[in-house]
Order: sequence, then structure tokens, then C-alpha cells
Amino acid sequence: MNKKVVSIILGIMCFLLTYGIAIQIKTVNNSNSTISTNAEENNLRSEVLKYKEKYDNRYLELEKAEKTLEKEREKITKNNAELTSLEENIKNGNKILGLSEVTGPGIIVRLQDNQSKNITGIFDLSKLIVHDLDVLSVVNELKNAGAEAISVNEQRIVPTTSITCDGNVVKINGEKVGTPFEIKAIGLPEQLAALSRQGGYLSILEDDRVETDLKKSNSITIPKYSGVIDFKYAKKK
Amino acid sequence: MKKEKRVMAISIGISCFALALVMSMQFKVVRETDITSIQSMRESELRSELSQWKSKYDEIDEKYQEVSGKISEYQSKKESDNENSSLLEKEQEQINLALGKDDVQGEGIVITLNNVDDVEPKINAEDLLVIVNQLKNAGAEAISINDERIINMSDVVNINLEEGEFFVKVNGQRKLAPYIIKAIGNQAYLEGAILGNGGRADDLQTIGHEVSIQKDRKVEITKYNGEITTKYIQ
Repeated sequence: MNKKVVSIILGIMCFLLTYGIAIQIKTVNNSNSTISTNAEENNLRSEVLKYKEKYDNRYLELEKAEKTLEKEREKITKNNAELTSLEENIKNGNKILGLSEVTGPGIIVRLQDNQSKNITGIFDLSKLIVHDLDVLSVVNELKNAGAEAISVNEQRIVPTTSITCDGNVVKINGEKVGTPFEIKAIGLPEQLAALSRQGGYLSILEDDRVETDLKKSNSITIPKYSGVIDFKYAKKK
Repeated sequence: MKKEKRVMAISIGISCFALALVMSMQFKVVRETDITSIQSMRESELRSELSQWKSKYDEIDEKYQEVSGKISEYQSKKESDNENSSLLEKEQEQINLALGKDDVQGEGIVITLNNVDDVEPKINAEDLLVIVNQLKNAGAEAISINDERIINMSDVVNINLEEGEFFVKVNGQRKLAPYIIKAIGNQAYLEGAILGNGGRADDLQTIGHEVSIQKDRKVEITKYNGEITTKYIQ
């Protein structure tokens, strides 16, 4: 009796272990058949991971420190009207620059590469795709319509932001972003929605058969810039 | 006999435990390594990825040190409002500099673009927009077009007139050719970005427009003339 129980337990355990190992072998096989055993590459790989982790940790610490800074600022300005207005200026400036999260009314625009597989009568296939210049132009038109804060796929537009292409992906703030593009803008929704007017940039994109969509919203949240704005060359005169 | 059995059971138990531990460790490693991106990279890709993360880390670490420094300054100086006020003003200055509210100077380049009579298409808003974007990508810290400072929400648009005529507006101000674009930053990077392969200034030159670039150790860029106001962001 006792023997039977033991062997059943052992059997189950063995089965589970084998199952686990099998899954793992499959995962590793699937993941990459060209994994290199080159020591140099492995070294680099672990270095990359190390720095990624260091960055992530520092980023969290920075977020915490920024909150503390804000509290300290509030503490010392609490009882002084002049200082309070200075503090308000700083807060406001950070919002305009893109260094803090903001909310407000506005629009959300979606641009997506054409997804349908059988298209006829098109000569220039590259028109079906959303390019860096398309994103740049839409952002420019939103600025023209009075947008106060803009993000593309959660990348906040700050004064030093560039929108470029890198192979077949778009790079914003040095980060890779891809289709579908979700562009959020805060401002007067009716005015921002003029983007979809006849002859506006959205209608041009639609003529190229890029898939577009525009939604107004009363409350949009736009994240802060995750990088740093730091001047090394430009000095105040 | 009985003793042997027990030893066996224990040793099997231990080995099972060890195996399970190794497995769970492996699962964790596999999850953390983000197999799809990093494992498949080649050496050169890995090197650029590494330098990218290194510089991102350095940047954020510098910022962290700065913020920490500010915190301790705020915490230590509590005797007078004057000292606090000067701390706040220092922060305010940094922000104003980034906003474009100050005249600035530094090394950079001055680009002059001019239409040539018979060359079509004329230099338009998109050209200027792309050049500004390429300059930003090369690390420009301050940019102006015909002394109109480019700030975060600056726009560059064509205003179309009759018969294919148009003019360019920057920040809502009418600007006419020649367009003089000033940028502060690393001179070699800035020049390379607009004159190198795919650079828009190079494209304009190729189709026949006048393009000249001057490197200057002391480019001066004036501040934004308008008021920067907000109504909707909170």
C-alpha cells in the first residue's frame, strides 16, 4: 500500500519534471536557432542587460526624487506668496516643456499602414505606409491648430524631439515606434479636429489609403518625457 | 532494508527539489532576457545597443544627481526666504532656457537658403520643417528661422495664394526667402545632418537652389517674442 503511494507520487513528479523540461527545450528552440555561442557576444549581451537594469532602477529613483523635490518646494513656498508664484511658474514651465504629465481636452488620431492584402491600381506601394514625414506633418498641423501638448505612441513631443526613420521603423526621442501610430493632442478639440478637413493632412493620407481615425475626447492624459533636456552648447546671453 | 529505502526516498526528494529549483531559475532567466530582441542580435548590433543604454543611463544618472542635489539644498537652507527664493529662481532660469524665453549663444551653424528663379519647386514650409527636424535629431539645442525662435509648439506652414504662389509662416509670422536658419549645437553633427546623405539642405542644393552654411563659434539666437500661454493642459 505504502509502496504504491510512493511510486505514484514519484511517477507524477517525474512526469511534471519531464513536461517542464520539454517545454523549456521547445521554448529555447523556438526562440532562436541561430543563438551564437560566441563568448564575446554573450558577454555583450549580459552587459546590455546590466545597463538596461541599471537604467530602469535609476529611472525609478529619479521619479521618486522628483516627487520629493516637488514636496520640498511646496514646503518652503507654503507661507510666502512671492515664492508660491515662483513655484507655480516652475510647475507650469515643466508642463509646457513636457517634463510632467498633463491632462485636458483634445483629440486622438490614429494612423495605420494599410492592412488589406489585395489592392489594385496602386503604383506606389510605399504610399500605403505611414512614414516619418507623415507623423512629423501631422504633429506640425496639430501645433498649428493650437495644441499645447502632443505625444506619439506615448512619446511626448518636447523641444528637442525629432521624428526620423531608421530602416522600417520610425524613431521618436530615440525610441523605436511603429504602426499603428496613436497621436494624442491637448487643446480645443474642435480646432484640433480641423486636421480632418478637406485638403488637410489626414485627407491627403486617406487618399494614399493609409487608415486614419480621429476621436475627440474631454479628458486625455499625455505622459511626460522620459529623457532629459540638458543644454551643453547654448548658454544664456 | 528499511533504512536503504528511506535513504533512497530522501535522495530522490533532494534531487527533485534541485531540479525544480534549476527549472524555476531558468524560467526566470528566459523571461528576463527578452529573447526575441537581444538573443538574436549580432555583435555590431549589440555594441550599438550597449552604447545606447550606456548613454541613456549616464544621462538619467546625471539628472538624478542634479535633482538629489537640489533636494538637499532645499532641505538645508531654511533660515531665510531669500535663499529659498534664489534656489527657485535658479530652477526657473533652467526652465526658461529650455522654453526659449532667453537669448542664447554658443557654437553652431548658420544656414542660408535662397530660391533660384527658374528652379521649381520653391523652398517651402516642409523643407524648413524637415531641416529643423534633422537639426534636432543632430542635437540642436536652439533653432531659429529668420530670427523666429523655434519653441516646443512652433509650427511651420505654407499659406497658399492664387496661382500656386505661397508664403511661409513660422509661429504665425510671415517669413520670406532668403531663409536664415540658425542652430546651436555640435557643428559637425549639425552640418552632417542636413548636408549628408538624405539631408534636406543637400536635396535643395541638388535641385539647384542656393544653399550656404557657415560654421560659427558664437551663434546668437534671440528669444521667442510671444507669450507662451496655456489654457487646456492641467
